[in-house]
Amino acid sequence: MSAPALTVDTKTPAIDIRGLTKTYGTGALAFQALKGVDMRVEQGEFMMLVGPSGSGKTTLLSILGCVLAPTEGEARLFGEALHGRKESELPRLRLEYIGFIFQGHNLMAALTAEQNIAVPLELRGYGHSAAIKEAREILTAVGLKDKFAKRPDELSGGQRQRVAVARAIAGRPPLILADEPTASLDAESGMQVTKLLKDLCSQRGHTVVCVTHDNRIFHLADRTVHIEDGRIVPAPSH
Amino acid sequence: MTVTGSLAAPIRTRASLFARVRTMAGIGVQMMFHDSLKLAGTLFGVVFAVLLGNFQMGTFLALLGKNRMFVENAQVDIWVTPPGTRQFQGGKPLNDAQLNRARATPGVAWAEPLVLQTANLVLPNGGSEPVSLVGARAPRFAGGPWNLLKGDATSLLAPNAIIVEDAEREKFGGLNLGSVRELAGHKVQVVGFTWGLLPFAPAYAFAEQTLAREILKVPADKHTFIMVGVEPGVDPTVVRARLQEALTDTRVMTRGEYMKEILTYIVTGTQIGLSFGTSTFMGLLVGLITVALSMFSSVIDNMRQFGTLKAIGSTTLDLALLLFTQAIVYALVGSLIGLGAVSGMVQGMRNPQLTPVLYPEMFGLTVALMVVVCLLASLLALFRLYRLEPAMVFR
Repeated sequence: MSAPALTVDTKTPAIDIRGLTKTYGTGALAFQALKGVDMRVEQGEFMMLVGPSGSGKTTLLSILGCVLAPTEGEARLFGEALHGRKESELPRLRLEYIGFIFQGHNLMAALTAEQNIAVPLELRGYGHSAAIKEAREILTAVGLKDKFAKRPDELSGGQRQRVAVARAIAGRPPLILADEPTASLDAESGMQVTKLLKDLCSQRGHTVVCVTHDNRIFHLADRTVHIEDGRIVPAPSH
Repeated sequence: MTVTGSLAAPIRTRASLFARVRTMAGIGVQMMFHDSLKLAGTLFGVVFAVLLGNFQMGTFLALLGKNRMFVENAQVDIWVTPPGTRQFQGGKPLNDAQLNRARATPGVAWAEPLVLQTANLVLPNGGSEPVSLVGARAPRFAGGPWNLLKGDATSLLAPNAIIVEDAEREKFGGLNLGSVRELAGHKVQVVGFTWGLLPFAPAYAFAEQTLAREILKVPADKHTFIMVGVEPGVDPTVVRARLQEALTDTRVMTRGEYMKEILTYIVTGTQIGLSFGTSTFMGLLVGLITVALSMFSSVIDNMRQFGTLKAIGSTTLDLALLLFTQAIVYALVGSLIGLGAVSGMVQGMRNPQLTPVLYPEMFGLTVALMVVVCLLASLLALFRLYRLEPAMVFR
């Protein structure tokens, strides 16, 4: 059994955030990581969020990923409000809306490539056989047809990140959040993985927010948003 | 923006609890077997607890069996004992008047006296060894020898005949069938051997009651115990109550009550219960701590993977299912190995002196107990996962 998808008005923005702030700590030790961020990402868009270390891009990604609550402001995914949610509701939102690609591949070391991809599918209600079938289809699509039964330690860095991409898009979650997906890869592998992500997401209609500071892949984005010191800023002119 | 396919949309189905159990159980088991060193370490803790716990319990049961083997094996429904009796040991002698009152009590099919005292057997080298001489009365031979390797109770009808414990043959100077020895000044001849009748007191030896009284110098109207058989279909507890009413200066117990009383005495009246209870508890505690630390360490080692599971939509309950599955598998596999090992050890050290006793019920109890211990042990790891922020995957 595969999980059904809900049709959403395509005019509804995938991401709509207004006046978003995030403060860590309190009192004299308080640190404001986001200082009133407004941002809108359309459905099907491939957006890159770029900025220097400590600029707030990972905090913003964490809020969009429903793993961190904002301090103030509004955030909506496909029209559904994230602000003011109970923590217990967040796993459901993550399952329904989001596929994740992490800086490290973050694959389960004990599971094979196909099992790693099947896990989120099974959590979404796929039967085991259906999950494995879809996992194999996606692995084939990312060029790992002969690696279904390989564990992460039997794959190269680029292959692991391809599996991570496959895991993120499995089940067709509408939003893919990628955190420095090329950071642990060499230049060639990084380019290949990003192109693969771009192509697959275009074909399948995923919205992508990709945090990166790898300027070699900026040109693959539909749009690049710059963040500095907790604020969205215009792109540097150079 | 380039969209060549239809837009992906939210997925509005969540797996059923059963499906989540299956998924998490599968991940949990694969994680366990992926880290073989940690698996071995955790299993060692469980196996150690099972081994120590069962060995201690088996030894305790063996000691308990030594104390109550007579009550357990004599085909007697009710025991009339001296007042204050708490174990199988004589006290103030009972008398014929009490024996006759017992025989006259409604529901009593038969009542027989038993004589039991220590006597010294003279060895060929001039030394001596004590035996617990039991005088059982012909022709019923209630309280007579059991577990016979050679001879039978009727062998005791021969003049000066005694049956002794096979395990003590060497100690008694190399006894064989027909061997003659001096027992408390009387010449006796060995007509049979029992196996394993070794209480804490000296080994049991059996003689017909007339000979036993002669050897022990116990008058015909004095008895160590009075044994009672009830009529078919009569409740022994009802007859016991009647007997207690009739024999106010004695303590009357059914077979079951007497065995329970001995158990209570051993547990509460001696240090044996405390000693074995403490060591069994320590075994379980070591198992609990080993499993808890091992599972906790496994969670710490795989924190990023657990964080990822949380980030992609697993709940704390899902991770609890994963850990509980691991705990149950540890308990089952560890119990199987431990029980196999302890069974082998017990079989290997089987002897009439003291062989730990393993009842079939202990196997089921062990597995159930280890499941509980391992589930408790997993709570430490679960607490850590409960506090795990999924946001850590972005750091």
